[in-house]
Amino acid sequence: MTTRVLRAGLVAALPLLFAAALPFGGASAADLKSYDSSKPSFWAHPPPDWFLGDETEAQKGLAPPVGPAIPTTAAELQDNLKKIKLPPGFKIELYASGVPQARQMAWGANGTLFVGSFQATNVYAITDQGGKRTVKTIIKGLNMPTGIAVRDGALYVIDVNKLLRYDNAEASLDKMPDPVVVYDDMPSYAAHGWKYLVTDKNGWVYIPFGPPFNVGIPPTSVSQIRHVDLKSGLAEIVALGVRNSVGGDIDPRSGDYWFTENARDWLSDDTPSDKLNHITRMGEDFGYPHCHQGNIPDPKFAMGHKCSEFTPPVVNLGAHVAPLGMKFYTGSQFPAEYKNNIFIAEHGSWNRHKYQGGRIERVVVDAEGKHAKQEVFATGWITGDRDYFGRPDDILQASDGSLLISDDWAGAIYRISYAK
Amino acid sequence: MKFLRMVLLAAIVSLPAQRAHAAADVAAGQEKAKVCAACHGENGVSSMPGIPSLAGQQDQFIQWQLVFFRSGQRPNPAMAPIVGELSDEDVVNLGAYFHSLPYNTKVADGAANAELTAKGKTVAVDHRCSSCHKDDFRGERAAPAIADQREDYLVKALTDYRSVTRPSVGVAAMTEAAAGLSDDDIAAVAHYLATLGPPKTVGASLKTVGPAKK
Repeated sequence: MTTRVLRAGLVAALPLLFAAALPFGGASAADLKSYDSSKPSFWAHPPPDWFLGDETEAQKGLAPPVGPAIPTTAAELQDNLKKIKLPPGFKIELYASGVPQARQMAWGANGTLFVGSFQATNVYAITDQGGKRTVKTIIKGLNMPTGIAVRDGALYVIDVNKLLRYDNAEASLDKMPDPVVVYDDMPSYAAHGWKYLVTDKNGWVYIPFGPPFNVGIPPTSVSQIRHVDLKSGLAEIVALGVRNSVGGDIDPRSGDYWFTENARDWLSDDTPSDKLNHITRMGEDFGYPHCHQGNIPDPKFAMGHKCSEFTPPVVNLGAHVAPLGMKFYTGSQFPAEYKNNIFIAEHGSWNRHKYQGGRIERVVVDAEGKHAKQEVFATGWITGDRDYFGRPDDILQASDGSLLISDDWAGAIYRISYAK
Repeated sequence: MKFLRMVLLAAIVSLPAQRAHAAADVAAGQEKAKVCAACHGENGVSSMPGIPSLAGQQDQFIQWQLVFFRSGQRPNPAMAPIVGELSDEDVVNLGAYFHSLPYNTKVADGAANAELTAKGKTVAVDHRCSSCHKDDFRGERAAPAIADQREDYLVKALTDYRSVTRPSVGVAAMTEAAAGLSDDDIAAVAHYLATLGPPKTVGASLKTVGPAKK
């Protein structure tokens, strides 16, 4: 496959990029792609090669699979869950079905489970009356409302380029109030524009900004994680050099923010690895697009940089496992050794000949990010070489210490619990 | 030839079939589809300008479009009142029914224009249509069959994707693929796809849908 030659106008738009690139050797200017993001049309139509990158003939056809249009029925889900393997003493059950494209979850103070969605444009509220659960669509028509959070009675939702606040949400399930725009200094594209929200004890929210393509020199406003004050809208950049992050959590031991990150595609089936990262200093650079998995300089975009310049991952989770939502376990239902472990929902591969991921991973690590080890916690959602009956995408701890898992493929929520 | 085509189709649909058809009822879908025939044709082969043929279409694609019409994400005044009352079950059954109909490989009236076909083929390669729609352009899962579709409908569909007036499954794959197409590109690729005719070889396509090589 030949590399597309840049039009002269696009090269001219970023002269510094090439001036900086050439003295360090590596790829020549003609081999590099860059993107002119100076016009709104760029954000309306991101580059056509953002995910279909420089694939080889052998990689042809490894396009992202699209899940079922209709949520999987409860009867089928009950059957599917029999195939999920867990450590002894743990069990998985269906918590709710009929939740199209369920993504990030958050609890209301009175026990309402709020759930975002991917392309379904909806936010759901799941209520539990004596074990009978009802799924209600409370907001419709948002653009990629994947990320949600609850704080001080308000529901926060990402509408791709706006952070919205719905006050007094739990008491307003029948008719949500008009939202207040809290923060909107965000690009409007959908590709890698979907987000995940994590609030901290000071009332700030972490928001990731992915680049609208597989790999390239990121436009200035993306490939970063920001920290936004929910009261004032003040925003700060807390991490740079981040590709597509759709999951994170605050370590209860240190207050530090940890996040999952999806590595670039089309390099190979087994590299680069997706990552679990830990921010210890404001503005740290995690290497994208120059360096992947802490030790692979990008064939085109290393551009003279060495991997040693960047913060390495705490854990390499594996290639194309797609780590999304994650949580530190703070409950007491699971055995004591699970305390402060990290659970990660791995969405699973698309850009790999034999899918992997599609499971829940457990990471044991100290608060400094040392002595990390990982193991598979729950697995079995992949069927055959390249198909799924479900794809886990977020994790939320319930008040009893069990874990809820959302699945945007099957449109369902599961519950994992432990009993001796 | 017909036998080969059957083998090919079976190979293409075998993977999703296990998943998507678990609860589908083709007969119920056929009953529900009576209202569709007025525009989409008696056997799902449309003879009405601007209206797509649905016969043999990918089951998941049909389902997604019905869901998009139902939710209003794909606004269409003709479809809206019809799909408004469809249940999830109806959507699954309709997908299975249209998928079960024999695919139309009868090339549209009028000979293919060689110059337009050549340009259309180049457009298809440049925009990587076969990455999702497969080498024979008969699709897979949610990626629809686009070979031998009505030429005027293909022009309409691509124009709608380009102007972002209809949603793309898979986030924005079609929005992005169509964004850079000129009117001439669209005319050419639509002509190329609409006049493909029956698949001439099966080998290449079987290879792309079979199990991955280790």
